[in-house]
Amino acid sequence: MSRHLSGFRAWMWQRASAVYLAGFFIYVLAYLIAAPPVDHQALKGWVGNPGMWLATALFFLFLLLHAWIGVRDVILDYIKPAGLRLGMLAAVFVFVLICGLWVLSILMGVL
Amino acid sequence: MEFQIYRFNPDVDQEPRMQSFAVEVERGMMLRDVLLEIKSRDESFAFRHSCGEGVCGSDGVNVNGRNQLACITPVSDYENGPVVIRPLPGRPVTRDLVVDMSDFYHQYHAVDPWLKRKDPVPEQENLQTPEQRARLDGLWECILCGCCSTSCPSFWWNPQKFLGPQALLSSWRFLADSRDQAEDERLDALDGPYKVFRCHTIMNCVDACPKHLNPTRAIGHIRNLMLKKSV
Repeated sequence: MSRHLSGFRAWMWQRASAVYLAGFFIYVLAYLIAAPPVDHQALKGWVGNPGMWLATALFFLFLLLHAWIGVRDVILDYIKPAGLRLGMLAAVFVFVLICGLWVLSILMGVL
Repeated sequence: MEFQIYRFNPDVDQEPRMQSFAVEVERGMMLRDVLLEIKSRDESFAFRHSCGEGVCGSDGVNVNGRNQLACITPVSDYENGPVVIRPLPGRPVTRDLVVDMSDFYHQYHAVDPWLKRKDPVPEQENLQTPEQRARLDGLWECILCGCCSTSCPSFWWNPQKFLGPQALLSSWRFLADSRDQAEDERLDALDGPYKVFRCHTIMNCVDACPKHLNPTRAIGHIRNLMLKKSV
């Protein structure tokens, strides 16, 4: 199976997503320190702003992509038996997918 | 001075053991001299060595947890404690300090470590500018001792799939060579999740290299070239 997984593309996406994750994290941290939302309604309003909503959605998309590539790397390194490897990759993929759907449902609720 | 040496003869031993030797140390002595002294006392003791001056790369061993060439490692570096000498890690032990390096050589061979030309070979010299030649410094000096690849955890886990730091350094040596004309072919052969991308920049290779080369940097150059070619 791993023969069909690209090495270069995965590496490139992991690096690119890391840059976005770092940038978004610093921005959110700076915003929360400089102008923390006064209540839950204000927080919802901030995240619900279309620009911020899109940036947050992208953050979670890249976070899950980054995590998938990282965990996939660990599995490729250490898990040799093909059946066990496939099972673990599938389990991680399902977990990442569920997290993604969960994030999506939360983000849709904010809109 | 006390030296603890890994001993294992698969023909007679059930499992490996450490054997202690007391060797009188003289000024200027290298670890290879100690191993030769032990060999003179016990002929069944096996280790590889040849030139004795850090050129042939035969006597790579693991000393107190670090891969070294025994012939250029002064015993005086270890005057404060016991010296534990084991075979290079992660390789099947043939006997005592001699390991099977087949995977290592196979990976070296897999990167086609020779110049490939598409144009006809010039009748005389294949000239380079001093700058083009300078790009090969830090690459051509590799002596294939295996200290780097056998200190790399990624190579331990996947020695048949991951090329390892030595082969990747050699690969970059030819990718960086202005006389080579097979860049695309070489890069295509390196793609896939295993050959280059099992390197997680652990950098044990840089720490272990007795020639002070930097395989991690070479691997970074390969990845950057792949990136450059893909955009």
